[in-house]
Amino acid sequence: MSEKRICVLLCILISSISCVKDIDFEQAEDVVLTPVYEVDFVYSRFDTSQFIDSNIDPAIVIPEVIVNDTLEYDLLGTDFVVDNLERVELTFEFTNTIERDFEFDLGFLNDNDQRIGPLYSMTANSGNGEGTDPIVTTEVIILDTADIDVLRDATRLISSMRVQNINSSLRGILELRSKGTYFFNYEL
Amino acid sequence: MRSIIFFIGLWGCLGYSQNKETLYDFTDLPQSLLLNPGADTNFNYHAGVPFLSQFHINAGLRGASIYDVFADDGRDINDKIENTLNTLTSNDYLTLTQQLELINFGWESKKNKNIYFSGGIYQELDVIGYFPKDFAVLAYQGNQDFLNQPFRFSTISGSVELLTTFHFGYTKKVSKKLTFGARAKLYSSMFHIRSAKNKGTFTTVETPEGNNIYQHIISNADVTVRTSGYASLKDEEGKDIVNKLVGRAFLGGNLGLGIDIGFTHKINEQLAITGSANDLGMILYTKDVETYRARGNYVFEGFETPIQFSGQDPQNFLDELEEAVPLDTLSTTYLTMRPVKLNSSVRYSFNRYDDGTCDCYLEGEKPPYLDAIGVQLFTQFRPKRPQYAASLFYYKRFFNFLRTKLTYTIDDYSYYNIGFLTSIHINKINFYISANNLLEYTNLAKARGASVQLGFNVIM
Repeated sequence: MSEKRICVLLCILISSISCVKDIDFEQAEDVVLTPVYEVDFVYSRFDTSQFIDSNIDPAIVIPEVIVNDTLEYDLLGTDFVVDNLERVELTFEFTNTIERDFEFDLGFLNDNDQRIGPLYSMTANSGNGEGTDPIVTTEVIILDTADIDVLRDATRLISSMRVQNINSSLRGILELRSKGTYFFNYEL
Repeated sequence: MRSIIFFIGLWGCLGYSQNKETLYDFTDLPQSLLLNPGADTNFNYHAGVPFLSQFHINAGLRGASIYDVFADDGRDINDKIENTLNTLTSNDYLTLTQQLELINFGWESKKNKNIYFSGGIYQELDVIGYFPKDFAVLAYQGNQDFLNQPFRFSTISGSVELLTTFHFGYTKKVSKKLTFGARAKLYSSMFHIRSAKNKGTFTTVETPEGNNIYQHIISNADVTVRTSGYASLKDEEGKDIVNKLVGRAFLGGNLGLGIDIGFTHKINEQLAITGSANDLGMILYTKDVETYRARGNYVFEGFETPIQFSGQDPQNFLDELEEAVPLDTLSTTYLTMRPVKLNSSVRYSFNRYDDGTCDCYLEGEKPPYLDAIGVQLFTQFRPKRPQYAASLFYYKRFFNFLRTKLTYTIDDYSYYNIGFLTSIHINKINFYISANNLLEYTNLAKARGASVQLGFNVIM
């Protein structure tokens, strides 16, 4: 009898002294992941010596040159990204030594090649000629959750570069470098 | 969500390696033969109660505890996660081992009283996951604060295995001083997944002179995940998965062979040394094997548009990446070693019962020693590096029916791990229960690990 009692006592003792105190697992509901990712976006380089034949008479002026491009670009990837992205900052950095302003436009297309969202336009200020310090223009486009929602179906990217009054005496380089900064806010 | 929390809670409660420091060389229990086939036991026969002879669970978390994250202290959980994330390194890990004996039996040889045979079947789940520090940081904080710093694929390492072991052992008292034993094992693996020895880095590098602001570089990536018993389960659900696993448990899985060896050497009547090596063996994975391997180098620096100076074809990022770092699915046979475990001890027994007034020993037996002290060492080989543990123990036999062992262990998880085993013997019936990390029992959430085992036997 006493043997059994000791057994029962031991079992009760072991099971009763173990416990988990001061713990609140409900906090799991407050977990928010807020990673920030920096990812390269578009880049481009326009070197006059590669595009303009210097043998052409400088008196000939081309009133406007436009270069258009379309590329496959799934801006936001999956629904998961769209639903948990809080903000995207697209930062563009133009460095220019060519003595002309350049107009840069950027937009997004859906699967049916219809533009969604606005056409984002920016100007790269003219430089001071070949061999001078380049003029730097920085533009930031901020996409908030409403913009992101509009752009959720974007699958292609259209861009164009426009410059006016080109002649063969123009010298210099225009460079575009850009990145996207993706701010996530993901609740478990 | 509730079930996840419950699981984490349970894991917290049972929360530690495969070290069974209280059970090792506890020769009153037949389960000690599973840790050392050369244990100096003294049974005529034994039989475990089917499915109840040993349940063992052992969970551990090196580097952090549940309390670090879930403490109800008014601090924001996100701050606590970030602090914990910063404290943990890629050498920290979590382990979970669970074993369930299905059957366990043994008998003394009729022809030779010095030989004891024992055998049985047990199921084992063994999980180890190293903390994937670099990619946890990438997921939790992103790459913005970690420009020019490589995220290493080598931090991804772990394995999960579910298997059954069929075993049969032979223990022989070679002389008065030496007992030697060996146990043959046949493994049937139901499920295995393992990723180890990965190489390469992912880095976002600032490139002031480059084409774009950054370069995102995957360098010398070589990441492999081996699986077996997984591919055919991918499309199955609930009951079918269980049915398939049960089929594999009884020799329908990937098979392997192994051996345990061990000895007890009595230097004199009171002083003994023991040693054992368990699971010296391997499993050959031939059925239902899928190995995923990605290797390559890739540099991404954005999209060249609108002026494509380089004159290249329009880029398709995903196609390029797939081409540069192709993911191959292979079904080649592979072999893995079982995680070898080494145990050893020195034991000094004293306080022999001999006043003849109490039933502290069974008839026919030599009067037992009622107390013993000693030291034990444990090592287990793991994918990255071995785990070690060292214990001091005190064995005490109170009455014939109550035998106990107290251990103090230093290991990867803590420097003050107290374990306790109680074994109750009433006639032929035996019940034992053991747990460690007792100092943490009043608040298991703070424990970095714990282990529990219990079971019922019939012993003569």
